[in-house]
Amino acid sequence: MPTTFKKVAAILNPTAPHMVGDGFRVHNFFPSGYKIKMDPFYLLDYNAKLEFSPSNTPRGVGVHPHRGFETVTIAYHGAVAHHDSAGNSGVIYPGDVQWMTAASGILHKEYHEENYSKKGGPFQMVQLWVNLPAKHKMTAPKYQSVTHREMASFELPNHEGKIEVIAGNYNGVKGSASTFTEIELYNLRLKAGAKAHLETPAHFNTALLVIEGSIAVNGNEKATTNQLVHFAHEGNAITIEASEDAVVLYLSGDPINEPIAQYGPFLMNKPEELQQAIEDYNTGKFGYLEE
Amino acid sequence: MLEKFQAYLKERLAITDEQAKEATSCLKTKTIKKGAILLSPGDLRSDNYFINEGLLRYFSIDEKGKEHIIQFAPENWLLSDRNSSVFNEPSVFYIDAIENTEVLIVPSHFFVDIQKLLPHILELNIRMLHNSIRFMQKRINMLLSATAEERYLDFIKLYPNLTLRVPQWMIASYLGITPESLSRVRKDLAKKHFK
Repeated sequence: MPTTFKKVAAILNPTAPHMVGDGFRVHNFFPSGYKIKMDPFYLLDYNAKLEFSPSNTPRGVGVHPHRGFETVTIAYHGAVAHHDSAGNSGVIYPGDVQWMTAASGILHKEYHEENYSKKGGPFQMVQLWVNLPAKHKMTAPKYQSVTHREMASFELPNHEGKIEVIAGNYNGVKGSASTFTEIELYNLRLKAGAKAHLETPAHFNTALLVIEGSIAVNGNEKATTNQLVHFAHEGNAITIEASEDAVVLYLSGDPINEPIAQYGPFLMNKPEELQQAIEDYNTGKFGYLEE
Repeated sequence: MLEKFQAYLKERLAITDEQAKEATSCLKTKTIKKGAILLSPGDLRSDNYFINEGLLRYFSIDEKGKEHIIQFAPENWLLSDRNSSVFNEPSVFYIDAIENTEVLIVPSHFFVDIQKLLPHILELNIRMLHNSIRFMQKRINMLLSATAEERYLDFIKLYPNLTLRVPQWMIASYLGITPESLSRVRKDLAKKHFK
């Protein structure tokens, strides 16, 4: 396959932020922020770096359900404690990733971790909703914790930085998160002047979120902190050059191309499946989790 | 944003699109920010609110400062304070917006004014009034005689998606139970139904 640059479709600024509970001040890039094709990624909420004041009562989001997809939480600053109705709990520290497969249904809650909350400080996170194909929407929920310490990474030559592979495969380095469809999800940690090359099929929906610093994409497209670079379905190669020290989240996935029916925290294929999800949640079929 | 109310009328009256459009052409919409208060005790309002988008709450506050929710009004509900809109007496209730809300203001005289155009509107209004009485009778009976679980099961039939839109304490307030009792009810249901 000849290598051609994947065309940049748009460089998008963060949308106006909104609060999720009282602990997350997020810019939604899609689906409500921008109408861009990112299937199998359904939603990207970005809590840009923000200083939280100390609080003895941890801020966050109380018990809520999910069905039909996976939530992927990627921490850059601050720490989040979570609990779910399947009995899983843990803390997501900077560099860690929590990959929660809600699938048939789960209840969970997410709060600032107690010590972080008491001290306050910078907070920066991404939450992705990764859709599941119809045949996997009702599989059993599961939970994968990918800690920063254990994360597979590809070292760039000359100490120029590294590419941490959360899911997928970069140059033979395989991410530990298992996925239901083909997904490449990496954190690129680049020193100023470092160059990274990525390849992905033309039809994969692909974007870069600049978490820190600024970069040049494919030579001449400049993007800076908090911007999302969205790619068109043309070409298959991407080069990223860090204009200064940079952290970049790369997401690329094979579209599922199935009908979507969404209501609040449920992501299904048909409206009647949403009704069923609401009824099941109301009647306790998602289990129980203490507030 | 008159389409939803036009559809509401068309569902209940045998009228044409044109009649529905003409009948509603004088109505105005109002947007209310989440948390804003639309009605307070002492106010006089002749308006009914038809909810296009969002969620209103009709409630009282007792001497101890505790809130008691009489009614939630999500999309396609008509909400009014009868005390002031019909009897022209100061309201004893509050109305506020739980979400950013858009309402259509339907003045009380609308149903009288529009008779020439929609001859059956008064019958509809009477039917809606009876429906409202029936709803309140059932609600009083549930509050007097039903268990917390029965009240909750009735609530989720009437308002299936409100469990995703309002905090637990508001549902508990509507049901006339403590938030702890509501948690127990939900826990018991999960024990029965979670596999």
